[in-house]
Amino acid sequence: MTSPLSTDDSFVRSAGKQLAIYAVAAVVVITVLMVALDFIAGLTSSGASGAAGAVDVENNEITIYLREEPPQLNSTKASDSVSIMVLGHLMEGLLRYDESEQVEPGMAEHWEIDGTRVTFRLRGNARWSNGQPVTAHDFVFAWKTAIDPATASNYAFILYPIKNAEAINAGQLPLDSIGARALDDRTLEVELEQPIAYFDKLTAFTTYLPMSEEFYRATNGRYGADADEMLFNGPFILTSWVHGSSLRMEKNPHYWDADSVKLNAITAGYMANDSNTLLNLFKDERIAMTELTAEMLETAMQQRWHINRFMDGSVFFMDFNHRPERITSNLNLRKALQMVQNSGELVDRVIKLPGYLPAKSLFPIWLQGVEKTFREEYPALEYPYDIALARQHLELAKQELGLAEIPPLVLLADTTPVATVSAQYYQEIFRKHLGLEIVIDAQIFGQRIAKMNAGEFDLILNGWGPDYNDPLTFADLFASWNLNNRGKYFNPALDEQVRVAQNSLDAKTRMDAFGEVQRIIHEDALFIGNYERGWTYATHPQVKGILRRVFGAEADYSRAYIEVPD
Amino acid sequence: MTTPVSHSQILNSADFAPITQRADVHAISRPSQSYWQDAWARLKKNRRAIVSLWLIVGLLAFALLGPWLWQIDPARQDIDQISQAPGADRSATIVAPYAPWDGTVAAEFAGGSGLRLAMAANSQAVRLHWDAVPGAAGFRLYRNIFAADDEMAFGLPIADFPTPAAGYYEDRLDLRPDTYYYTLAVQAADGTLTANYQTLAVPVNRVITLDEVRERELAPAEAALDIGDEVHLALHPLGTDYLGRDMLARLMAGAQVSLFIGIIAPFLYVLLGVAYGATAGFVGGRVDQLLMRFADFVVALPFLLFMILFQVVFGIGPGESGIVPMLIALVVLAWPATARLVRGQILQIRQEAYISASRLLGARSSYLVWRHMIPNTMGVILVTLTFAVPSAIFTEAFLSFIGMGVAPPTASWGSMSNEGLARMLTHPHELIFPSLFISITVLAFNLLGDGLRDALDARMRSFE
Repeated sequence: MTSPLSTDDSFVRSAGKQLAIYAVAAVVVITVLMVALDFIAGLTSSGASGAAGAVDVENNEITIYLREEPPQLNSTKASDSVSIMVLGHLMEGLLRYDESEQVEPGMAEHWEIDGTRVTFRLRGNARWSNGQPVTAHDFVFAWKTAIDPATASNYAFILYPIKNAEAINAGQLPLDSIGARALDDRTLEVELEQPIAYFDKLTAFTTYLPMSEEFYRATNGRYGADADEMLFNGPFILTSWVHGSSLRMEKNPHYWDADSVKLNAITAGYMANDSNTLLNLFKDERIAMTELTAEMLETAMQQRWHINRFMDGSVFFMDFNHRPERITSNLNLRKALQMVQNSGELVDRVIKLPGYLPAKSLFPIWLQGVEKTFREEYPALEYPYDIALARQHLELAKQELGLAEIPPLVLLADTTPVATVSAQYYQEIFRKHLGLEIVIDAQIFGQRIAKMNAGEFDLILNGWGPDYNDPLTFADLFASWNLNNRGKYFNPALDEQVRVAQNSLDAKTRMDAFGEVQRIIHEDALFIGNYERGWTYATHPQVKGILRRVFGAEADYSRAYIEVPD
Repeated sequence: MTTPVSHSQILNSADFAPITQRADVHAISRPSQSYWQDAWARLKKNRRAIVSLWLIVGLLAFALLGPWLWQIDPARQDIDQISQAPGADRSATIVAPYAPWDGTVAAEFAGGSGLRLAMAANSQAVRLHWDAVPGAAGFRLYRNIFAADDEMAFGLPIADFPTPAAGYYEDRLDLRPDTYYYTLAVQAADGTLTANYQTLAVPVNRVITLDEVRERELAPAEAALDIGDEVHLALHPLGTDYLGRDMLARLMAGAQVSLFIGIIAPFLYVLLGVAYGATAGFVGGRVDQLLMRFADFVVALPFLLFMILFQVVFGIGPGESGIVPMLIALVVLAWPATARLVRGQILQIRQEAYISASRLLGARSSYLVWRHMIPNTMGVILVTLTFAVPSAIFTEAFLSFIGMGVAPPTASWGSMSNEGLARMLTHPHELIFPSLFISITVLAFNLLGDGLRDALDARMRSFE
């Protein structure tokens, strides 16, 4: 029998041993369980052949995923990228974009621009999926619906170039006063407020898509809410829509260009945006394409996937609240914030995705100037990275504001992984170099827009994607009348330059105006560039011809095909 | 009946000598032990419980003394060491500050053909250049972590060049001390890759500029450093997270949050539950009915919903810490379990004979409660408390995991686990450490609670 004293001594040792045995046993049991479950899962998934893989050669179908479910598919109301992507497969506007992002004839066979008058001639074989012809009336009806104040479309403003559209949307004029008329079933005449150089490009945008009035009325306000509550005139028709689960698109036999559509069907079988889920779906050949996040790159390389990249043309930046009661309306404070950050570090060290570029100007690098790219002709202006100078500006700001300390600033950000990381990066940069306290207000997209409109922020991590292929889509962002000017920045000099660009048809005059806008933005320190967004993605080796687009559907499968190995 | 035995056979006169007073008699008998001394003695014999107790003491020291010993700001971002695993190499060579590059080739790298280096490669930048390829429509430059093989999986596409001319490129994307394999693939006119490609293996070593050494205080201020000298980057014993923040410092900060919630919240709600349950049990009758039905009502309230409501009511905006509403929600919603338990005990004790005797002798209610009721329910209360702690810690971790707890940059084990989850496959240490701490803490409190239950159970005294 051992003495109580020696038992005391061995407490820790034997108890530790006991714990160690428990731990080992737990690990062994869990490992065995995992292997067993994996085995069972393997049995059931190979048995359940009903769940199609990424590529179904026999039926000429592919399976893809959507980041989230489209809220609805009414083209006059769609404003999110998933809806726009799905509608890009189901519908076609007057014009469409070809493989190299240039406009080509769509529903319209040809068109003429004559000052403020644009005439579109529709093709005779343009048909809806129920066999009815697509007529000029369908366009007029859709546009009226989109600018009807009762529709409250987020994208109504994109129709403002049409005569009276802005006034109708504000409720000042009746709907019928819109400057678009169907001369006959196949001729559409559009009267513009003023001549604009890019109106033809605009008509390829989602909000300009047609809608059959007869069918719309028959749906009793449910248009676009379900697969059978819609009509299609694009390459595919929506045959089933299981909400929260899947969408199935089949080839449209009535499409005028059906010969160019090679796939029989596309199934959006998964609605997921979690990187680990996507990684596993792609690894198991359940989806034909997956976006890659920074965490997935190493696995993607090890798996020897064919990785691709694509820049979607959008620019992300930090934007300020210029309402007078906010301290971010102070120029010196904005300059101080500018000088302590370096977008190269954010992109190369923190975001770490090969598709991203540091944003140096509101005008992204791909925009065309007069002859070369806009940025080659009007180089971006940048503040130096200079912490000492930044602190001087901060002191000036404190004096001007009459504050001993700058109160905490609210940084409104999205909840996406990249936005979360960027927000925390800036929070620390501003704290470390300027001693500022930043409160991160992370909100989902819809909530963030609501807060932006209400002005409940000091700083925003904002982004802007091009709606059409012209620098104006970026230049009017800080115009005083633009609803997307969330900080309510007001500068008559900038407004004047935007007006010049809108009203002129001369490329040089317009580009000079954009150059001037770029200079004013720099001078007033309106913009801290974060990144120009890129996507890194992997595609199934057998699926070819997937287009990634800057305008319209960000991933376009309408011309994709399956390559059968010999 | 026994057979009579003669006295002389078993007794003699010495047996009848008077007994002397012996001093050691009392020492032989077992000392008188109070309930608590006895419980402690039995707890000490339970090895698991004692080890758990030491673990908890260790965790408290980790949370309270740790930040004092390891004075690293948990929010500080070490951009040079992002997602660094524990024990990784930290040496870096000092180089000149980064300067934009215009494509000129350094003298010692002149000559050669194909894809090649234009300057010494380091973690600041890898500068490559190449010759024109006749017939090519353009190039695409790839970077990989292993050599290209016949599958033509070249890794990450990092740049595109739409001309067949000679070109140059500077890669600065997340360069770590490792060997990278660059591939320059030739594109056909339609943008597809041809089978024509050139590869280059580039070993990259870590560098740092003098300014960065000074800013990050990696060397003593008086040390004379020059380009080419070697320094060690800041030490991170448990590695860093996805923003280069020190894991050890964050785990300590997280321990403070977790243990604060884990100890304060159960203490408060057990106190509330004891008072409530004791009142119900002691008063009895209609009051008891009323109080216990109210407790049933509180049990039915959904915790998560109330947590959100409390955040709204307290005006906790986004970006502000949700710890106070979490504490209040826990206290307001978690007390009924304790109250029920204590009420049951009190009801039982009320029927005991010694209570009736005490009453007959004229004891007042307050005396009964303080002398008899509370001490006799103490065991139950303590056990409830130790089991409440791990569940509160787990609740905190869960709420922070789903983003309702602490606000960035404050760390909590739950929020760290959530952030680590996304990088589980590539940087497992970011998930393993916080989840290990949650598991160990919860296990330790549970084992201690188990031991305490055994030790405090008076009926187990006889089974020693």
